Amino acid sequence: MLRIALEKVTHHYGQETALRDVTIAFADDVTTAVVGRSGSGKSTLLQCVNGLVRPGGGAVRVFDAPLDYSALPAARRRMGWAVQGTGLFPHMTVAQNITLLARLEGWGEVQMRERMQALMRLVELPDAFALRYPHELSGGEQQRVGLCRAMVLDPPVFLLDEAFGALDSITRSEIHDEFERLQAQAPRTIVMVTHDLREAVRLAQRLVILEQGELVQHDTVANVLSNPATPTVSELIASQLERQ
Amino acid sequence: MIRTVAMIRTVAMIRATAILVTALLVLLAPAASAQQDDPRPVIRVGSKNFTEGYVLAEILAQALEASGFDVERKFGLGGTLVCYEALTTGEIDVYPEYTGTIHQAILKLDAAGAAAADDAVLRRLLRDEHGLDLLEPLGFNNTYAIALERSRAQALGVERIGDLARHPNLQIAFSHEFVERKDGWPGLKAAYRLPHTPSGIEHGLAYQAIGGGKIDVTDVYSTDGDIEKHGLVLLDDDLGYFPRYLAAPLARAQMDPRAREALTKLGGTLNEAQMRSLNAAVLLEGKTFAEVAGVFLAGTGVERGAATGRSRVRLLAQRTARHLQLTFVALLAAILVAVPAGVFVSRRPRLSRPVLYAAGALQTIPSIALLAFMIPLFGIGVVPAMVALFLYALLPILRNTTTALFSIDPVLRRVAEGMGLTRAQQLRHVEVPLAAPTILAGVKTAAVINIGTATLAAFIGAGGLGEPIVTGLALNDTGLIMEGAIPAAALAILTELAFEGIERFLLPAHLIANK
Repeated sequence: MLRIALEKVTHHYGQETALRDVTIAFADDVTTAVVGRSGSGKSTLLQCVNGLVRPGGGAVRVFDAPLDYSALPAARRRMGWAVQGTGLFPHMTVAQNITLLARLEGWGEVQMRERMQALMRLVELPDAFALRYPHELSGGEQQRVGLCRAMVLDPPVFLLDEAFGALDSITRSEIHDEFERLQAQAPRTIVMVTHDLREAVRLAQRLVILEQGELVQHDTVANVLSNPATPTVSELIASQLERQ
Repeated sequence: MIRTVAMIRTVAMIRATAILVTALLVLLAPAASAQQDDPRPVIRVGSKNFTEGYVLAEILAQALEASGFDVERKFGLGGTLVCYEALTTGEIDVYPEYTGTIHQAILKLDAAGAAAADDAVLRRLLRDEHGLDLLEPLGFNNTYAIALERSRAQALGVERIGDLARHPNLQIAFSHEFVERKDGWPGLKAAYRLPHTPSGIEHGLAYQAIGGGKIDVTDVYSTDGDIEKHGLVLLDDDLGYFPRYLAAPLARAQMDPRAREALTKLGGTLNEAQMRSLNAAVLLEGKTFAEVAGVFLAGTGVERGAATGRSRVRLLAQRTARHLQLTFVALLAAILVAVPAGVFVSRRPRLSRPVLYAAGALQTIPSIALLAFMIPLFGIGVVPAMVALFLYALLPILRNTTTALFSIDPVLRRVAEGMGLTRAQQLRHVEVPLAAPTILAGVKTAAVINIGTATLAAFIGAGGLGEPIVTGLALNDTGLIMEGAIPAAALAILTELAFEGIERFLLPAHLIANK
């Protein structure tokens, strides 16, 4: 089954065209990175998948059916969502942030506690952090909590919007390790938006390259690197991957 | 670990709610138990808030008690309008009024009409058009007079009102009612061709102002006890401008006829000199209204009814309880309306401005005016006071709720939505908790404001800590004023502290607003 697919999706913000006739079928159980310069439409594309943006034209299909805009919360709970700057709720502890969706789904206390501890260990967060508030954690620690929160219901789809963008390079590298561990844990369709091609190459199996709202290339990482589809793609590769 | 944190928060919320509910029940109980069935008929006597008004009302009350009635005293009502409304809506049965005031302020006759209306005409108008009866006049004429210090009057060579025209630079201050009434300053100015522009001053404060040299001329009532004390002399009204103000009980036509009989017996028993000395006894010798009225009635052969002495401490407790009741019932109602309204408005930005403007406009209405507006709708007493306080509490809470919700970080909103929370869940788990510190700060502001505003409730007979303040102002008695002002101030501080305690209970430390 095809978990996520976009068909001829077009979207405008006022006069500007954010997405132009984009058709993509994301491969299941694989990590795809959506790459491009700022303003290329990456975030808009991701938000079309979970319905935060309703495209002006075209169709969005999730879990083999058109996205049901009248029942978005149900669909969204099957898609983990992690953003830049984490968006952790400041009035809730780490534990409350992570288990919020589980609580809303009616999980038992023991079940929630076990799931939370398992996730926190996976991303190497000490157990004691559970009772802390987000502002007491560093940026890297907050980002890890954000990942746990997105994963609590074990969603088959995971959407990341520049989730590692605001971190320093050392922390980012550590998180990449943890992320790889998450990927290995269970097969999942992961779509990650990033402006950093090196991160994309390290973490993803496939690449989607957007340029000014248009799909320019969608292929395995190896194929994109060896056969860039347009000069701009080559330039992107050159500027980001071959830096000293 | 999760259980511990969640449990602590839940227990804290339950505790806070329990305290609030209990407190409310305790506060409302006195009001409920006050309605006791009494076999003896009850007459409610009102009074305006100046010395003579209190003394006359106390005389009426004691005369009724001596005749076997139970009397409920609703004294200190703020002005003719409030008394009139209280009378016609049945909140009181009788209060002492003056014929001149009835002509101008109640029957609204002009000078010619007043002169033409004899007693019979007056009584018929009152009964037919207002359902009121004017009982036998008590026996004295308390009219307006213009006064200066004796030495000043001699120095300036003024003996009659008209002489003032020769001194256009004199500082004149009249009581507010006198400045506004048609039979007050405007008419006087025209009749005597006076060039001055007087300011308004609280009647009780005018004497101090003259004594201190701040003003030269003021209005007095011819039976004021203060006249001798301050060495004032009354100017001659040679044009006969001021109409007669005969004091008489004004009653509802439906008042018990035996009560009417008891009050009619007082007719003609009190002359001007006696009234002045009664007033002086209160002002200069510090006698209470009850004592003075008792002595007078004993002199006319009327047995003094059983006086209900209330100890000071008990009075303070009763007034404080009433004050808290007024403030917090109104506050609770305001929270129940303003918070949901704020949530509703915050989702529809176009609504927010008109709604906030409307609430803001309510706040700018002077408190006394708002209280007076309530009377035709709700009568006098606790209910109109609570409604007025409720309206005042709306704006701070509403504004803080909408602002708080508007200022929630849009990233947090988007995350809450994107992760799969329904609209209701977003409100409940994210938006309202994030707005809670600011909302609570708004509630705290409303509470502290209302503790202060509730002192004005005394003007419409609602009781509370404003009672001694209102009486103290009329009597120029600082001690009395403090009896109300200090506890009220203490209450305001305590309220502030209590809310800080609630904030610490309910909110995680890093989220408390204005720490």
